[in-house]
Amino acid sequence: MSTILKKNRNLAFPGLLWFLVFFLLPLSVILIYSITERSLISGEPVKFTMANFVQVFQKRHYLIILLRSLRISFFTTVISITFSYPVAYFLAKNTRHDRILIVMLMIPFWINYLIRIFAWKLILSDNGILNQVLMGLHLIDEPLRIMYTQTSVLLGLVYTYTPMMVLPLYASLSRIDDSLIEASLDLGASRFRAFFDITFRLSLTGIFAGTLLVFIPALGSFAIPAILGGTDSVLIGNMIENQFNIVGNWNAGSAFTLSLAALAIILVLSYSRIFGLESIYRNRGI
Amino acid sequence: MKNRISYGLGIYTVLFFIYIFTPLILIFIFAFNRGEGYVFPLQGFTWRWFIEFFRDSLARESIGNSIIIAVSSATISTILASLLTIGLIKGKFRRPHLYITFLMLPVLMPSLTIGIAALVFFRTINFPLGIPIVIIAHVSISMSYVFLIMMSRIEGFSLSLQEAAIDLGASWSSSIKDIVFPSLMPAIVAGWLFAFMVSWNEFIVTYFLIGNNSTLPIYIFSQLRFGISPKVNVISVLVALFTFAVILILVSAGKLNRRISPV
Repeated sequence: MSTILKKNRNLAFPGLLWFLVFFLLPLSVILIYSITERSLISGEPVKFTMANFVQVFQKRHYLIILLRSLRISFFTTVISITFSYPVAYFLAKNTRHDRILIVMLMIPFWINYLIRIFAWKLILSDNGILNQVLMGLHLIDEPLRIMYTQTSVLLGLVYTYTPMMVLPLYASLSRIDDSLIEASLDLGASRFRAFFDITFRLSLTGIFAGTLLVFIPALGSFAIPAILGGTDSVLIGNMIENQFNIVGNWNAGSAFTLSLAALAIILVLSYSRIFGLESIYRNRGI
Repeated sequence: MKNRISYGLGIYTVLFFIYIFTPLILIFIFAFNRGEGYVFPLQGFTWRWFIEFFRDSLARESIGNSIIIAVSSATISTILASLLTIGLIKGKFRRPHLYITFLMLPVLMPSLTIGIAALVFFRTINFPLGIPIVIIAHVSISMSYVFLIMMSRIEGFSLSLQEAAIDLGASWSSSIKDIVFPSLMPAIVAGWLFAFMVSWNEFIVTYFLIGNNSTLPIYIFSQLRFGISPKVNVISVLVALFTFAVILILVSAGKLNRRISPV
């Protein structure tokens, strides 16, 4: 028995090695860049500094972008919870066709998200489909300016990530035993009380898992603001790209990247502390 | 009261599905519309944009690169992940949950950070950007997805089958090859398809690592940045049909909604 286990164990090593070399090692390299000056390949002696991190809070420009990204990702998350809760509830409790409906919900997800963003560009532009419809109905006289604003970025993010919220919510809601609610109603609770004290509370795992799946990618989004956004909707992702592809400051870029990664890791770890790791991958429905 | 609520929820859900599908339907319509702009009323049916798309050599090259990258990265990551899962879950590991936490990072971290880390790493060791690096980076990401898929499958697989085979005289390697792998086959197939789709759709990491080459998402992005052309609609239609086919395969492989859910 134990020799089988030992031999089985060796099978894990190629994968673990790959993970170590091509995932953890690159992360450590940007860690080094983020706490040093100049490039590691320049051959000059390495000097340690915290300036790369400090400048985020010192330069007004960076701080504005950081706060904007947090705000937009926060709203994306809140809106996606609001949008998807009734749908998840319906799928979990009020229909027998939940499986096929979930599959349908996943179809757009599997179509490249750039294509879905492109669709929003068609809808939202000044002479886009929304404005054509509204002006055709004489509801407005001149086109709404939505494209290339923070609103269009928010709309794109909500559209892209809301299905990610539906799934864990649906998973947590469908696990709730209906007899709990019946019991509470029998014992005299109102429908609202039964909903908030039982259903809503038990769905919190789903809400938090969904929050991980929406908030983190929204915070790190790069293509959506690049395509739908204008000058007032640059987010952290675009700022990081700028540091590498235009400014050429790897040290600052690494510091920003690492902060983003660290924030994501902290969120994930605290979630797994509170709710257990299992609930993440179970909730994902894989 | 209860009926009225569920009726309301049903209507809301229908509206939600309309919201999700309308953008895609609009894209489809304009792929076959004769006019240049995206303007109603429609001006009649045409194949013109399909022809223009296939005449575009960059588009063809991008599709080819995307297929090469997706097939190789899915194959490598499926091999690594299935071995990893067997080793980690059915091997003598202390605190497997620690490893699982780490292995979930590529799924849960913003892909931007993964792309930047890989860019900095490969530039530092002076490895030229291009398709091989993209394949490596895609493996690092999709390995975690395949691992998650395999893990939910392997927990139901009991070690006693493998033990029994060895008790009956099988060697360890044939117990893996003839007992463990065949029973994981459905998960391996689902994992490969999943990894293929992850790589096929992946944009951000590729954007930083591809150098002067192009993949389909990179091609779409460059088209979107510099004005929009109905050629993008054509890609969308083709990608959607392809996606449909993959979903159908997964569905017919059974247990559909457990596998094709995202991430």
